Amino acid sequence: MKFRVGGTIVAALVIAVAITGGTAAATAAKCGTVTLNEQAWAGSTANTYVVKNVLEKSLGCKVNISKVAEVPVYQAMADGKTDAILEDWGHVPQWNQYVTKQKTVMRAGANGVTGVIGWYVPTYLVKQHPELKVWTGLKKDATLFKSPESGSQGMFLGGDPSYQQKDKTLITALGLNLKFVSVGAEPAQVARWEQLYKQKKPVLFYWYDPQYLNATYQLTQVQLPKRFKGCQDDEKQGGDPKKYACAYPSYTLLKFMSKKFATSGSPAVGVVKRFSWSNADQNVVAGMIAGQHMNPDQAAQKWIAANKAKVNKWLGK
Amino acid sequence: MAVAESAGRIAAPAPAPWWRGRAGLVLLVAVAMGIAFIGWRSELVWPASLTWNALAHHLDDFQTWLSNNRNVPHPSVFFRIFNGLATFLDNIVGWLASLFFKLTWAGTTALGVLVVLRFGGRRAALGTLAAFLSFALMGLWEPSMRTFALTFASVSLSLVIGLPLGILAGRSDRFRRVITPVLDAMQIIPAFAYLMPIVLLFSVGPGAAVVTTLIYSVPPAIRITALGIRSVPTNTVEAAQALGATRLQTLFKVQLPLARRLLLLSVNQTILFALSMVVIAGLIGGQGLGDVVTSGLYSNPAFALLAGAAIVIMAIALDRATEAMANRTDPTRRHLTEGDKKRLRLFTLGCAATIGLATGLGHALGAASVWSRWTAQAWLLRQVQSALDYVQNPSTFIFHITNPIGNFLVQYGLQPLRSFFVEMPWPAMTFGLALIAFLISGLRPAVVTLVMLTIIGVSNEWTQAMDTLSQVLVATVLTMLVGIPLGVWAAESARTRRVMRPILDVLQTLPQLVYIIPFIYLMPVSIVPGVIAGVLYASPVVIRLVEAGVREVSPHSVEAAGAFGATRLQTLIKVKIPLARDAIMLGVNQGMIMVLAVVVIGGLVGSGALGYDVAQGLQQSLFGQGVLASLAILSLGIALDRVTQGRRRRRTEELA
Repeated sequence: MKFRVGGTIVAALVIAVAITGGTAAATAAKCGTVTLNEQAWAGSTANTYVVKNVLEKSLGCKVNISKVAEVPVYQAMADGKTDAILEDWGHVPQWNQYVTKQKTVMRAGANGVTGVIGWYVPTYLVKQHPELKVWTGLKKDATLFKSPESGSQGMFLGGDPSYQQKDKTLITALGLNLKFVSVGAEPAQVARWEQLYKQKKPVLFYWYDPQYLNATYQLTQVQLPKRFKGCQDDEKQGGDPKKYACAYPSYTLLKFMSKKFATSGSPAVGVVKRFSWSNADQNVVAGMIAGQHMNPDQAAQKWIAANKAKVNKWLGK
Repeated sequence: MAVAESAGRIAAPAPAPWWRGRAGLVLLVAVAMGIAFIGWRSELVWPASLTWNALAHHLDDFQTWLSNNRNVPHPSVFFRIFNGLATFLDNIVGWLASLFFKLTWAGTTALGVLVVLRFGGRRAALGTLAAFLSFALMGLWEPSMRTFALTFASVSLSLVIGLPLGILAGRSDRFRRVITPVLDAMQIIPAFAYLMPIVLLFSVGPGAAVVTTLIYSVPPAIRITALGIRSVPTNTVEAAQALGATRLQTLFKVQLPLARRLLLLSVNQTILFALSMVVIAGLIGGQGLGDVVTSGLYSNPAFALLAGAAIVIMAIALDRATEAMANRTDPTRRHLTEGDKKRLRLFTLGCAATIGLATGLGHALGAASVWSRWTAQAWLLRQVQSALDYVQNPSTFIFHITNPIGNFLVQYGLQPLRSFFVEMPWPAMTFGLALIAFLISGLRPAVVTLVMLTIIGVSNEWTQAMDTLSQVLVATVLTMLVGIPLGVWAAESARTRRVMRPILDVLQTLPQLVYIIPFIYLMPVSIVPGVIAGVLYASPVVIRLVEAGVREVSPHSVEAAGAFGATRLQTLIKVKIPLARDAIMLGVNQGMIMVLAVVVIGGLVGSGALGYDVAQGLQQSLFGQGVLASLAILSLGIALDRVTQGRRRRRTEELA
């Protein structure tokens, strides 16, 4: 009795395992598996999913998406667990360590997008106070931006802790009556200025492009002093605040890949190297993903279908 | 003669309560500090000559060194050991996840439900089925299975490590004294601070995620198990030993069974803590629901809420299932005859066969490894999104109520308090706090406070630490005000317990950013969301521990009090709560630790100060900054803990 029951069980399990073993893996193609890394913001989702869909549809690659944070991802590439990142905003210490010294990570060119960082105000505010187009207008109007946290000073909303910023020093250097208020990560900062924007109140904040919200809200950049030679941007270096009294540089966003991927001979390497598109392109796709809450794969496929010429260039055709 | 003497002794008046005279002195010190504040506001900041500025650079160099030595073609044995461990853990989690996919969704569901049915009963099995159904309907099958594999591995390892160590800490006072500061550090130091070293040692992936989760979920396993062992009445243990039981027999047959309720709480808390780390685990390759939450926060908050709900559902299902399975195996509840045993064996075989059948059928009928056909995801997202749209609209009447309240709280409450702490001249703050610590708890805690404040000053974190301290104090006081009464109420009323339990589970596992960020739309000011996050995360722990403690009070003591004519309230206040002191103090300690553990989340939603510095330290590779800010958080925690716990140790010494 026991053997019969036991035998049935064993037979059932053996059949189950045999069936599982039988299903072969998807055809590898000469491309193989590629792991791209995606960061949390919509722009990164946009470029990662567009490249993912190009690699899958045109080269038959199997693409995995890893979601490692900005700094640890370099170690992930050094270990070969991630193959490529498509958007880096200037992590110079990591470049020095992994690219220059250890040579475990390699450059893959620029992704065509230029990052612009600056001080932004709503356009309706500039219409009421045209002097705010330039930073000198803030000398008189700083108290417009008062809030419960800033007391008698105006409030400046700082950016996400992971973004390059030097606003504290810049405010001191320009001698403005503003209080730097850090409001946390980007979703929290967006919550703050969105609420003020919807109430048509004044708000001054750190902001940047490419960012999909720039299509939804009318924002104007406050012109900061022109960049001069020897202008500093890294607050951690300290020194004379006057040296920081210039606008942010524009950032050429770069791509990086692991040495393992770069030397693998996969056709995907060429596509990653040749991938390049404009700020407007990225904002369109990011807008579909974050603004309209479209599925990232669908958004990517929609853009690819409408931009065949660009895609062909990446494929080397 | 002797009677008259003893009568004389008995007639002596009872000593005044320890807090009466002290309260006046503490008030005096606070007033003195207030005068110093008004007189020398902002004038005396911690002197730069007393800071060790180079420390941050040394730490940064250490991380660079670690990175350079790890990524050479032939790393040393040191790194190979960690690599091996990481690969081992990666493989465990990977194997589990691939098992879930190979069995297809049908086989996996059958596996989960039938295992729980066999070992835990029908109700728990239904709960497990509901959980699987919800993952399928939300369209989150694959991330849920990956997270489940990660959690299963983490919780199992935590219990394997934590339960024995907890038993040891319960039986040996010396071991407990040694391990407590280590556990404090493990729970207070934010994961963000040691994320990069973990990545450099364990690379990126599920292995590193398991290690990060372990650091956070082992301490509650140890602490609550120790509490359970210690709460077994000494006379029971003595009785067992008098009957000739060896130490091991006493442990397995007396102490562990009697500590059953607290051991179950220990497993429950380990599961909840492990699942609360899912989002951070995602930052270093943990995959699963954590990733969905993180990208959702930036692109699709409704989706993040859905994933958060999945995490909560998994937590509750796992907790109920393990509890049911533990109750089923309780030897006092089972009387098995031979016939029963035979039937159970057949039942087990039947379940195994059904699992195999489900898998086979699944493959035969072409079921995919993940469920993705009919999901209610789009519909669910629409509902959540419309709720979010309502919350984010500043024209609603709710906004017109919450916005002014928030502004008022910050302008007249939290911001002035923050200024008071930050701009107080440093000698007044340092010696004032040390003096207050002395008055409340005695000499040793006062010395500890002095040392901790000095560490904070020397590491150049004074302003930031004072800023965070002002917020942490508010959050801790609120947590105790909410948690202790609710815990006592839950101990007394079974209905309250039933109602509160799922709410507490939700608050402990729902990723906080998911609900705090919508809250910011309602109350767009800085400090309040961080404080709310702290209170909501810490209160469940306090409530649970206080409830467990008061319920564990020996029924004999309660009966005795009743025999003396005490009312229920008198029994509660004069018998149960004093006897539950150990558990209540552990609740206070854990509540305060939880508030500190959430400081980084606070930093991400506007609390600034140390939390922001830690987050920035990881994300901009400023290792030194992150470590020093974490050290400051830890110092605050140690000082606060010694001050709140010190009084208890003094009294036990007095009594002895």
